[in-house]
Amino acid sequence: MTAALEFCAVEGGYEPGLPILRGASLAVQQGEIVALLGPNGAGKSTLVKAAAGLVPIWSGSVMLGGRDITRVPAHRMVREGLGFVPQTENVFANLSVLENLQLAAALVPKERRGSIDAMFHLFPDLARQRSLPAGRLSGGQRQMVAVARALVASPSVLMLDEPSAGLSPLLVGVVFERLKAVRETGVTILLVEQNVKAALAIADRAAVLVEGRERLVGAASDLADDGRLAGLYLGAGVH
Amino acid sequence: MLQLIADGLVVGSVISLGAVGLTLTYSILRFANFGQGEFLTWGAYLAVSALSLTLAVTGAGVMAPIEPFSFGWQLPVAMVASAALTAALALALDWALFARLRRTGSAITLVIASFGAALALRNLLQFLYGTLPEYYTREIQIAIRLVPRDTLGGLRVTPDQMLVLGVTAAAVIGLHLLLTRTTLGRAMRATAQNPALARVAGVDVEGVVRATWVIGAGLAAVAGVMAGLVGQIRPGLGFELLLPLFAAAILGGIGSVWGAVAGGLIVGLAESFSVPLFGAEYRLATAFLVLIAILLLRPRGLFGEKA
Repeated sequence: MTAALEFCAVEGGYEPGLPILRGASLAVQQGEIVALLGPNGAGKSTLVKAAAGLVPIWSGSVMLGGRDITRVPAHRMVREGLGFVPQTENVFANLSVLENLQLAAALVPKERRGSIDAMFHLFPDLARQRSLPAGRLSGGQRQMVAVARALVASPSVLMLDEPSAGLSPLLVGVVFERLKAVRETGVTILLVEQNVKAALAIADRAAVLVEGRERLVGAASDLADDGRLAGLYLGAGVH
Repeated sequence: MLQLIADGLVVGSVISLGAVGLTLTYSILRFANFGQGEFLTWGAYLAVSALSLTLAVTGAGVMAPIEPFSFGWQLPVAMVASAALTAALALALDWALFARLRRTGSAITLVIASFGAALALRNLLQFLYGTLPEYYTREIQIAIRLVPRDTLGGLRVTPDQMLVLGVTAAAVIGLHLLLTRTTLGRAMRATAQNPALARVAGVDVEGVVRATWVIGAGLAAVAGVMAGLVGQIRPGLGFELLLPLFAAAILGGIGSVWGAVAGGLIVGLAESFSVPLFGAEYRLATAFLVLIAILLLRPRGLFGEKA
């Protein structure tokens, strides 16, 4: 079966000669939520940014639904069907909530364009704040705007970089519940997270990245009880 | 009093138009473009050429004025052609110079390059057109008395001066609608705020950059034609307005369209009021004193947002 998103031996980084990704490989199947875990500096964010076209890929490839998107420019990824929600500064603060969504919707062909009303149905909080500048929303509401902005372009795969960062535990729960609802609409999700417990609770599978390579991949329920996971965070290898 | 306000608003309108282009390019391209003044001059001169061409093609010889203005229908046509040609000049400059430096240089490199480009543009213009002043029309306009002399000193304005105010208002409202009601405008605002996120959201940032050059240079050309309509067209026209343009953009809050308009009008009014108070030679100094005073009270400018 063709993977929804597949990284094949990806090597890359911000500066030539200083690789962050050292042959990372991972396949995300259609309809899955996959959590990408790992210690700080492991290359998790770099891997999703590379897929989004924001970090140069030196070798290897990224496939989206079987199509090679390795060299596709960042602004074309949305049209290809790959959505990305960065960790910080992920909304246009000076644009209203509605304008954030209108812009994202207008940038994809009509046949891919999602309904803004459907986004307000999925995130009812935002419907009430639609005229407010996104920069005046709370952290959790901003995350929802960012996710809605990505979803309105009807991506087949949605990548999120630490959506729980800076949120209270209560809001993390709300955001992750919304992500489960997003998955129910048929969107495949790749979730970069430091909050291991919360990520494993909603993920089908998880991968642990260390020093730019995947070291452990398995069912989320299995990894939750796997002692090797803690070992990798503490710097031990996998045996 | 009323006359000083009216004169200040006319000068301020020209400054506002140029400053709006400057603030747009600053917020999206992220550098202060010293070439903006030269776009204004080129716009004024290209309209002279377009006007001559239109008159030659139509065999009209001289313009028959559209009452009550001093010019015929050929000047608006020439202005549109001039705006298009000035936009093309800006795009060519971006392709040949700025696009390459954006990839490799820093903001300061771009600023210095724009200074060099401005010098080159001004000298090329002098080479092509010479240094003698030009005029769109030599029709003499009689100013209309709007307010009698015994009321605050009275007010007389020419129809051309009123047109300058009207064109500025129309251009700024048009730009406001573009920025708030269209996908291009939202993409421009998104790019100004966060280019990386704009790319992720699907915005063709290079396309937005090109659109910004077109709009900024087009507005500068319109400002140049308006300046030429109520005064002389000289090679130093844009250079002399460069400092007021920067003053207006900074005063209003760099990046803010409405701020640039307000800043332009304030600078124009300050210049106008300084003439009877301190003498014409201190016009610019007065405008800058106002700029300093406002920035001391509000360092972000009138409409600037917190960084």
